[in-house]
This record gives sequence, structure tokens and C-alpha cells, in this order.
Amino acid sequence: MSAKRIIFDSVLFLYTLVLLAYGSTQLAIAFAPAPAFGLSDLVIDQEFFVRRFPEVVTGVGVLWALAALLAAFAYKLNLLTTGEILFPNRQRRPPAEANPHFLRSFWGLHLLFLFLATLAMSLQVTEASFYELFDREGLSGAWRLWLGLTHPNFSLLAKAITEAIETILIAFLATVIAIPVAFFLAFFCAKNIMNNRVAFPFYVLLRVFMNVSRSVEPLIWALIFTVWVGVGPFAGMLALTIHSIASLAKYYSEILEGVADGPIDGIRSTGANAVQVVWFAIVPQIILPYIGMTIYRWDTNVRMATVIGLVGGGGIGTLLIQYQGQAMWPEVGCIILVIAVIVWLMDLASAYVREALK
Amino acid sequence: MNPLLSIKNLSKVYPSGVRALNNVSLDVAHGEFLVIIGLSGSGKTTLLRCLNRLTDPGGGEIYFDGARADQLTGPALNDLRRRVAMIFQTFNLVPRRSVIANVLAGRLGHVSVWKSLLGLFSETDRALAQHYLELVGIGEKANSRADQLSGGQQQRVAIARALCQQPKLLLADEPVASLDPATAHVVMDYLRKANRELGITVICNLHFLSLVREYATRVVALRAGEIVFQGHPSEINEDWFKQIYGEAAREVHVR
Repeated sequence: MSAKRIIFDSVLFLYTLVLLAYGSTQLAIAFAPAPAFGLSDLVIDQEFFVRRFPEVVTGVGVLWALAALLAAFAYKLNLLTTGEILFPNRQRRPPAEANPHFLRSFWGLHLLFLFLATLAMSLQVTEASFYELFDREGLSGAWRLWLGLTHPNFSLLAKAITEAIETILIAFLATVIAIPVAFFLAFFCAKNIMNNRVAFPFYVLLRVFMNVSRSVEPLIWALIFTVWVGVGPFAGMLALTIHSIASLAKYYSEILEGVADGPIDGIRSTGANAVQVVWFAIVPQIILPYIGMTIYRWDTNVRMATVIGLVGGGGIGTLLIQYQGQAMWPEVGCIILVIAVIVWLMDLASAYVREALK
Repeated sequence: MNPLLSIKNLSKVYPSGVRALNNVSLDVAHGEFLVIIGLSGSGKTTLLRCLNRLTDPGGGEIYFDGARADQLTGPALNDLRRRVAMIFQTFNLVPRRSVIANVLAGRLGHVSVWKSLLGLFSETDRALAQHYLELVGIGEKANSRADQLSGGQQQRVAIARALCQQPKLLLADEPVASLDPATAHVVMDYLRKANRELGITVICNLHFLSLVREYATRVVALRAGEIVFQGHPSEINEDWFKQIYGEAAREVHVR
């Protein structure tokens, strides 16, 4: 399908053009001071993007049109573009000549250029600097903090462990509440089950809803719930529950989509009804992977609950942010030690259980 | 006596446009061991799956045990499937469950849904499952995991599950195609035992003519979704063979 190829190529070409525009003006200020350049207003940098946002949007639109023209031109020239590699057209190019070494082909050089240019831009935008990394004053500050962390104040140990248990329970409750909801929803998110015409719109709708609620980080959910139910472990638990439902439903539905059809045919052929088919043919196939996935989720939730604590979701994260705010590094050291041990133990336990379930 | 099964002008076209069955009409009498032969893709599997409605036929009529079967839905359809058992080329047992649990699944159409979900099968049902497992000669494997058995043993479990339904008709879709020749004969012998001793009518898809000659009481050959031969297995001669399998075909013997 050449339309797919041209759309894909046009996006890549658009990115190439934007990189070229950005890179050329950045090189210009690097080698000739901007005022001397005389067009300081036209130097493309992050500020320019903010200051001239509407023009930038229009500009990108124009560039995209140009990129589409370039893509069509590349198609006419019969260049082996990345788009053609992804959406090959067997009629246009016999498979025999479709695979030159990637450094001798257009797509290989193109992607290599994009990779190196993006690498250069990332180094510049993140302000990566060896000077900052080895600055004497910065280093001595970090060393003081490190000394505090490595000499933990163990008088806080009892408190830290108590809060860590709260974190584990927050994660546990969030997982337990999410399991039945996700179990139920998973059947409606599985393509092989929702394959008839009536069910398919529900499938699409639910998938979109799930993807949206999953792409909102639990940290954001925690911010919402701290306003809703007040700062504390309850808010953290609710945030994790929402995220766990979406994640587990996705994991579960993927396991469901991998279920073998044979046993389903076998059980259907005995005269079992739909509920019996689910219980006797599908559930035995999914139960162990489900348990493994759920334990992994609990493990993840413990780690997330720690982070959520930082924004007021309760547990050991909240304790950490309190001491960090007062720069009490030996106390923070103790808390971090407890977190590390808890996360390590949970990780070990869940890996062990999942291995045993295989 | 009325036939047990009567198929009238059965047709099936898949959404992909493949015409799998074209006006197939066939009667099957009580107690027959009918074998269906034909090339891969000739419509054998589709025909069998239409009979217990794992696949919905596109047109035509099916009468089973005196009643129309091709329009059934819901509980009536489940009841049809209970009386028409099926075994498959790939056995289709439920992996990770015990052999006896797989055989007990044959009772699902007989017991109430809630009892079955809670695993409350009656002593009679459990005894029946054990009985059929012993009938196919693997009573001692009752508590093994189904997926740890050999292919031949798995197919015997599948036969026990089918017999546990106490069906009138047993459909066997290439039951020995994934087994070695010696095991194939063992499995076919159990199907013949079900046919002769329990009086269950059998319709079986097969590939090897040597098996057909040994087990079938009647043969139907399909080619491109149409019946091209009906008769006694001994009537299949060189000419018929070429008509069923094509000019270039040569027979393979399984002993």
C-alpha cells in the first residue's frame, strides 16, 4: 500500500526538515554570535518555539506539506525509504533487490542521520555538561549528602518500618480491589471474545477508556484524589486502584487473547453453555498466568505507592518527603534503606513465586 | 426405520469466499461406522463441524433423531451437542487439568450449571467418568495431568470424554492424523468398540485408505465440497481413487 508508505515517510521527512532548521540556526549561533548574525529573532531555539507558537504550528504544517511532496518524490525516484521497508510493495520491487546492506541504502543512512542529529539535540537540550558534573562546590555538597545517607539515623527505624508496612498494605488493598473488576473487564477487552458485530463497539470503547486511564500516571491520579478525599493513605490507595484496574485488565485481556481455541471447541462440543465454557475451557488456561501477573502488579504497586507517598499518598513516601524537605539526610538515609530492602524483598518474592508457577 | 441423521442440500461459504460445502445430501443410519474421505480442504472438517454446529451451515437442512437441528440456538443447541459428541485431530483436552476432570467435562450437558461450576458432580457422574476411562484402557491415569500424556493416550481421554456424554452419534475429525501408525490402530479400535458394543453411530474423517477398508461400514468421498463417491469400502478401486484424490495421487499404506 503506497499511501501508508508516503504518510509514514512524510512524517519522517517532516522531522528531518525540523531538525535541519533547528540544527542550522544552532550552528549559526555557535560559530557566529547571534547579534552579529543580525537575525537574532529568527534563531530557532526553545524560546522561539514558546514565543512564536502559532507561527511554529503553521510552519510545521507547511513543512509537512513539503515533506509529503518530498515523500512522493522519493517514491517516484524509487528510493528505498523507511516507509517502503515497513510497508513493502512486492509488485514494485522484487524481494531479491529489496535488501541491500543498510549503510548502502537510503533508509539506513536516513535513520542513521536522524539518530545522530537527535542525539546531538538531546545533549544540547538537556544541558549535559562535564563541567557541572565535576564542579568542586557541587561535588562537596553531594559528598556531604552522601555522608548523611550512608550514616543512617537508626532511631527512625521503627517509624520507617511502620510506614513501610502501611505502603505495602496500600498496595495490597489497591491490587485486591482491582482484581475482580479487571477480571470482569478483561473479557470485554479481549479481541477473540468480542469478535461479533454487536460486541465490537463496546470493545473499542472500553479499550480507549482503558488506554486513557492507564496513560494517566498514578502520580496524577494521586493529585486528584488528595483533593477529593484529602491527603493520606486512602488517596494513594484509590490512585493505585484506578491504575491497577486498567493495567491488570490489559494484562489479563492479552492472556485471554493467547488462549488456545482447541479446548474451547472441546468443551463446547460436550453441550456446555457459555458460562461453563468460560469456567472449564478458558479459566484453567489463564489462571496461572493471571496469578503471576497479579503478584507482579502488587510488587509494582509497592514501588509506585512509595512514589505516590511523595505527593501526599501516605506511607513511607510521605515520611521521606518530610525529612527530605528539612534536609535531614541521616534520617532520609534510614528511610531509603528501608525502602530498598522492602522493594528488594518484594521483587525477590514475586520473582520466586512467578518462577514456581510456570 | 428412519435414519439417525439426514442432511439435505447442505452448503457452507466462509466469509473469505471459500465454498467449503456445496449441496451435500446424506443419510446416516443407526449403528453405522461411516468414514468420510477426501483431500485436505475438501470440506470434511466443515461437514462434521456443521453437524454439531461448532460451525454454522450456510444453507440446507440437518435432521437429527427426527428433529430439525440446523436452526437450534441456546439451550436446545447445547442439548444437541450433548447428544452428538466429537473428538478432534488435536485432542482438544483442557491442559493443566487432570484426566478425570477432562472426562467429567463430558457430563457438563447433563448437570445443572451451578453445580458444575462449584465442582459438585454426583457420585454417579464420577463413577461414569471412571468407567469410561477404564473402557479406553487408561483407568490408572485418572489423576495425571492431561497435557503430560502421550498423543495416543490424550486421544483416548478425548474418547472417554465423548462417551461420558452418552451420545447417540460420535463425530471423529481426523482422530489419528497426528498419531503414529501403531497408536492409530489402538485409537481406531476403541472407536470401533464404541460403535459395536455401545451402539453409538460413528462418523469419522480419515486420510488413510488402509484404515478406511479396515474400519468403515460405508464410505463417502468429498471433493471440493461435493460428494463424489458413496459406497462400501471394497468398492474403492484405482479409478475411484484417482477421481477422489486426483490423477497424480498414489496410495500410502498404513499397517
